[in-house]
Amino acid sequence: MYKYRPTFTQRERVIDNQQIMDNMDKTLQREINLARNIQMQLLNGKTPEFEGGEVIGSSLPARLIGGDYYDFYPLVNGKIRIVVGDVMGKGIPAAMLMILTRDAFRRVAEITDSPAETLTSMNQALYEDLRTLKSFVTLICADYDPKTGIFTYASAGHHLPLYINGRDKTIKELPKVSGIMLGGLPDQVYKEMSIQLDEQDIIFFYTDGIVEAQNKDGEQYKLERLVQTLLENHKKSVSEIERSVMDSIYQFTQGVPQKDDITMVLLKVSKQKNGY
Amino acid sequence: MSLTVNKKVKGKTLILKVKGVLDISTVHVIASYLKEIDHIETLIFDLSDLELIDSTGIGTILNAIYLSQEKHFKLKLQGMDELTDNVFETVGLYQILEAMQGEVN
Repeated sequence: MYKYRPTFTQRERVIDNQQIMDNMDKTLQREINLARNIQMQLLNGKTPEFEGGEVIGSSLPARLIGGDYYDFYPLVNGKIRIVVGDVMGKGIPAAMLMILTRDAFRRVAEITDSPAETLTSMNQALYEDLRTLKSFVTLICADYDPKTGIFTYASAGHHLPLYINGRDKTIKELPKVSGIMLGGLPDQVYKEMSIQLDEQDIIFFYTDGIVEAQNKDGEQYKLERLVQTLLENHKKSVSEIERSVMDSIYQFTQGVPQKDDITMVLLKVSKQKNGY
Repeated sequence: MSLTVNKKVKGKTLILKVKGVLDISTVHVIASYLKEIDHIETLIFDLSDLELIDSTGIGTILNAIYLSQEKHFKLKLQGMDELTDNVFETVGLYQILEAMQGEVN
């Protein structure tokens, strides 16, 4: 029977190839870690501070890097522009598109007058690239005006944030405003809605990684558990509420590996500001 | 995660009955069927046995919509459960289909 016996030279070549592969793995791992650091630093930029409320955002990728995105942009007129989004896919490809999305948001945030205009401009800027890459992004964009308490929002295919009424302790989705994903169709003009926020009101933005987090039996965390957690913790500060939601998800999933990126942004009107 | 596709051809209509999970690990299965498409009038995605769809799965449906323009066939989506229907509505998939084909399925 023929048996393959590598010669000494062949054996050396096999070892050399293995070393090359090991080095490539290490290089790739190092570069992924660097990419992760870049993404985490961009995501965890400065959180704006303003009189009359507080915001916080957090994002936990399912893999080393992810495609969820949130950002704050303090406008010259004193409003805070908030964006939360989810790029199609996972891992490195999604992370690259997330950076593209962030760049588009940062470029148009100051030169557009409203969340709807921001989404309209972002779709114009990103449409061709997203179609070429056969991808899309869902986003919710909102302005909070601390002087008036008016909250204005628009959606590009993203589910609406939850609104926790601080007075009657109820939670519901914000009134519907529709708009399609970025990269779906060119020349889209997005619509927006506004509501008046009062003291202790909370707006909770999130991506589907939260409600779709699974436990070992394959059950999902679901909106009901999220609502319950928010009701139990709504009196706390935004950072404590954010921690409570994460703890609740961890408790539910009991160590089952995370399948999707988890992102949330909280806005809480903490005290009445003069004039509204 | 697994996905099986049952392919049926009725005249110039291709029916792809999708069963299982349509996510990042399985979209290549659908992509291979889309690649083969030629000279059909209608493509029907039967999603009545779909258990779960993620953003990559939605991206595949979106690409099929664009392919329908390129290869001149009608695309129909059927059998979605309430959850999938809501997701398609939220992301704007029906609106895109309507804009591209001039009618809602």
